[in-house]
Amino acid sequence: MALATANDLEADSLLSLSQAKVGCDFRIRFLNGPACEQLRQLGFCESLQVRKLADGRNLICTVCGTRLALSRELANQVMVGAA
Amino acid sequence: MSDALETVALAGNPNAGKTTLFNALTGSAQRTGNYAGVTVERKTGEFFTPHGRKLRLVDLPGCYSLDGGSPDQEIARQTLLGGIEGEPKPDLVVCVVDASNLERHLVLAMSIIELGLPVVIALNMVDVAESAGLRLDPPKLSEELGVPVVPIQANANKGIVELKQALRHPFPALPEANWKDGPAEDLAERRRARAFQICEVAARRPDGHASTLSDRLDAWLLHPFWGWIAFIAMMLLVFWSIFSFASIPMGWIENLQGLLADSVSNAMPEGDLRGLLVDGIIGGVGSVVIFLPQILLLFFFIGLLESSGYMARASFLMDGLMGRAGLSGKAFLPLFSSYACAIPGVMATRTIDSAKERMVTIFVAPWMSCSARLPVYLVLVPLLLGGKEGGLVQAVIFFGIYALGTLSALVVARLLRGKLGPDEVPHHFMLELPPYRRPQWSYVFRHVASRGWSFLQKAGTVILAIVILLWAAQTYPKTDSEDPAEQLAHSAMGRVGAVIEPIVKPLGVDGRTGTAILTSFAAREVFVASMSQLFHVEEGETDEETWQRLRSRLAEETWPDGRPMFTIPAVLGLLVFFIYALQCLPTTAVVARESGSWKWAIGQFVFMSAFAWIAAFAVFRISSMFF
Repeated sequence: MALATANDLEADSLLSLSQAKVGCDFRIRFLNGPACEQLRQLGFCESLQVRKLADGRNLICTVCGTRLALSRELANQVMVGAA
Repeated sequence: MSDALETVALAGNPNAGKTTLFNALTGSAQRTGNYAGVTVERKTGEFFTPHGRKLRLVDLPGCYSLDGGSPDQEIARQTLLGGIEGEPKPDLVVCVVDASNLERHLVLAMSIIELGLPVVIALNMVDVAESAGLRLDPPKLSEELGVPVVPIQANANKGIVELKQALRHPFPALPEANWKDGPAEDLAERRRARAFQICEVAARRPDGHASTLSDRLDAWLLHPFWGWIAFIAMMLLVFWSIFSFASIPMGWIENLQGLLADSVSNAMPEGDLRGLLVDGIIGGVGSVVIFLPQILLLFFFIGLLESSGYMARASFLMDGLMGRAGLSGKAFLPLFSSYACAIPGVMATRTIDSAKERMVTIFVAPWMSCSARLPVYLVLVPLLLGGKEGGLVQAVIFFGIYALGTLSALVVARLLRGKLGPDEVPHHFMLELPPYRRPQWSYVFRHVASRGWSFLQKAGTVILAIVILLWAAQTYPKTDSEDPAEQLAHSAMGRVGAVIEPIVKPLGVDGRTGTAILTSFAAREVFVASMSQLFHVEEGETDEETWQRLRSRLAEETWPDGRPMFTIPAVLGLLVFFIYALQCLPTTAVVARESGSWKWAIGQFVFMSAFAWIAAFAVFRISSMFF
């Protein structure tokens, strides 16, 4: 029961990278959407740490030490959780 | 014998430093930049191993994976698989990986290892990785992957000898990709998992996210407010230097040209040959070569911005603005370059992913007022101000001219983009922002030199041919008259001028100006020279003097019935015509080559010329009501 609640809480706490707060570190939980493969090739893979640096029409984040600018459509497909 | 050479291919992710390594190995000067996607085609060179064995080196465009992608990435994939005709399958692959980005770059390296070719990994940019606090362990990495790993620093020529040692015979044994066993559908997943596992042991990252210098710079340079201030300041600096610094070497070229023309005139008897040499070739080619300093300066700044890593930021900042025109941030660099000259601008569109967006960018690039229009504006604008030069009003008019061209280009881009429809595959904006690096001066200068040389080559071939043709059209058939204007009226060009007078009359100018406009279709700057000739203006010591004389002559010019000819509406009409008309044959040729379609190039030419005429007509008519 406790475990199920914990899982539910975890699922509830997931948000997409475009909703995430600027300046915080997150861990990528899963990718969901048509551009998944494209994102994976760029380095957005499950279980990687990502930091969001700036918001806007395009947002900036770092993954594995690389800074990437990506559009909101792409960021919507990256689901992140607490690091 | 070159067929017998063994081929080494350079492969890796974009901006991993393949071309820098290619240049370091072969000693050539291919274009590099701190910008993903500088290499858009395959390049080959040769080099020797320390044992004196000659090897052929192929530099491939960067790709993120071997599973397709944009056209340049397809080239990389096909070359590695041996699928390109006339290009042997490589005997050895040097996979260039960015050490500071191992998690991402290893995945591609592993898929290359799976191809079953001998692979050597060049671990590039170890200095950047170490300064980021990464603990690299190349022997461990080599052990885990089963291929030789050589740490290098290609931009500083470090580790190149060691790399060449690794490329000697016998080539390394075929690696076995032990992560390949298992069901094919989750191969990519296994590859990634293995890459992370390898990185855990061979490239340990410090915990937490240390804020690097690039982070701190980006906090300012990408700031929604300060970022724009910095961007605008930088662009102003670039333009100011192009238009002010360049005037010094331009003066030298002018003097040299005058000296050359004088010595030829003195050394030769009067005649057609002298006319051809002095007026046609020296004057014609000289009027184009004079822009060399501006073009070199512009390329210097573009090289500087690219190699320091700022260009990617500029694209990022401009993406919002470009988005309103239906373009993306990647269209910024080509359009920006077009302010100097549309030709390099059109060539720079190759980095745009979406084919339709690229075509649209090519289409509107010539409306960015290029440096060749400048002499025309400099002659015409003071006519609006009653002959007074300089001052704030003139600066405002100049700004208005540039803004009008740019805004119209963006509006047309938007309309055209809407007409072409969306892409089959949506392209989302996605750009790597490379860390700021110190510019590689040697490459910047070599790049500038090669651009300058190709510009001079163009001046020596295409432009030379055009000026000779123009000269002949203005000189033949001959009359006995001494009066140059009568001679011109009698010549082929003059007759054409008489024919086109009905076309230019609605714009408020006569056949002589029409003829000058016609000559300027080869190159805009020819307009000033033609006008001076057509209105009997003697050439002054300097350009300013000639322009001054031409202006006062034009201000006095009247129609046969005594009305002044160059009224404010007529001059405004002419200015608008020059803003919009595509009067540059080399641009049309380059557009045809880059878009792969003569139809597109000719359509652009016809559209822009017609638009220029209609806009000039409208401006003349409307402003006639006020002035």
